[in-house]
Amino acid sequence: MAETMVKLQGICKRFGDLEVLKGVDLEVGRGEVVCILGPSGSGKSTFLRCVNLLEPPEEGEIFIEGNDICKGPGSGGGEQGWKLDFVRQRVGIVFQQFNLFPHKTALENVTLAQEKVLGRSKQEARAKASELLERVGLGEKLDQYPERLSGGQQQRVAIARALAMDPHVMLFDEVTSALDPELVKEVLDTMRELAEEGMTMIVVTHEIGFAREVADRVIFMDGGGIVEEGPPAQVIDAPQEERTKQFLGLVLEH
Amino acid sequence: MNQFFNQYFNFDVMQEHFGEVLVAFLQNLLVFAVAAVIALLWGLVLALLRQLPGKKFLPIRFITIAYIDVFRAVPILILILMISGGVPFLTFLPQEIRIPHWFGRPDPFWYGIAALVIVYGAFSAEVYRAGIEAVPRGQMEAARSLGMSHFQAMRHVIVPQAVTKIPAPMLNELISLLKDTTLVSVIALSEAVLVSREILAERLNSSALTLTAIFFLIIILPLARVVDKLIARQQLKVTRGAHIEVA
Repeated sequence: MAETMVKLQGICKRFGDLEVLKGVDLEVGRGEVVCILGPSGSGKSTFLRCVNLLEPPEEGEIFIEGNDICKGPGSGGGEQGWKLDFVRQRVGIVFQQFNLFPHKTALENVTLAQEKVLGRSKQEARAKASELLERVGLGEKLDQYPERLSGGQQQRVAIARALAMDPHVMLFDEVTSALDPELVKEVLDTMRELAEEGMTMIVVTHEIGFAREVADRVIFMDGGGIVEEGPPAQVIDAPQEERTKQFLGLVLEH
Repeated sequence: MNQFFNQYFNFDVMQEHFGEVLVAFLQNLLVFAVAAVIALLWGLVLALLRQLPGKKFLPIRFITIAYIDVFRAVPILILILMISGGVPFLTFLPQEIRIPHWFGRPDPFWYGIAALVIVYGAFSAEVYRAGIEAVPRGQMEAARSLGMSHFQAMRHVIVPQAVTKIPAPMLNELISLLKDTTLVSVIALSEAVLVSREILAERLNSSALTLTAIFFLIIILPLARVVDKLIARQQLKVTRGAHIEVA
């Protein structure tokens, strides 16, 4: 396997009494595309959000490009002890609900953090933003506010916004789940291109077709742990575990 | 009945003292304008302090919440009396703070503003808070995941959206503030109510007070309609499910 980009070990996460993650491990190599499948409540989104510390895990270790980004387990809750800046500059995330800034145009959505976080000049940030928006097919929509854009267009702006920070790893959290069916393809196409360009990606998704075609590896999660993992041809087309078969049976029926 | 009308609606008295009362009313407007600007800023600061994340800032959050609770409960009149009666004797403070005459305004003017800012800062902090909490959680997550600090996210993402959600309740606070400027009369600032009462003492007639009330009505009634409009507009946005756009 190529150089390890992301490594998580023994990730545990609780919400009150509910144990959402029960010691999950994952290793992702440079340029690898990992798709995480699983039923609702399996912990897959929470796990993804642990990678960039949007949900700091209670136990476990996270390495980004070999750097331990936690002080270690038991270092106390909250954001203290976490190398937030290090993570956020290397790991981009795209959300189910887009979360575009509604008071900013598409262009401003993509330039804001470039200027405020990376300290790029206005011209530099604009150039980068236009280039990225062009690339996701929104070169005509630079000055539109999110409310004037379709869900698919908004999601592509969100992808451009994350890419503008030059991340080394991209996380996708059910990015097509809130979209009308006819808009799903344009977002998946954008992600497919990104994968082909060699971006390291961890994708939580319900799009089995996308996972089969684009993923290097598929992980099936249920009940706060990994049930099965392997190449898509194995996990999706010839699953070994009963729970995987059951889930895929339900999903692929339609 | 006639006596009542003569006591409160004597147009001769109103006419005769019109200029005097108007000048005094401008004093109310001036107190209002200065207090409003400072209170709106102070309220925002309080609201932001209250939203600081993490264990580290627990004491600051606690103090802020205590401040907001206390000064929403204390009657402004009492606060005005305590400040004007107490601050001059705080000998460790420099003279120009104990007995302020900034910009040629008398010290009651500044004591009144201090009391109004302290109280309306607390009230407006609660309005800002409602606005901040009405911004979806995903906005903060998105900003933070792009590497922005909590403060940057507040400044560039959360607060600009929050303030578009609160103009109606904030305007209500401002209307209330404008009326409460009359309380400063208790420490002898020559504002409209004090001047009207002096006229009452001199003429044994209350019509100047009525005139003062009319001045307030003229300013505030249109504002009440503006509040209605703002609420209706907000409702429309909510029902359409649209995001708020700030050009």
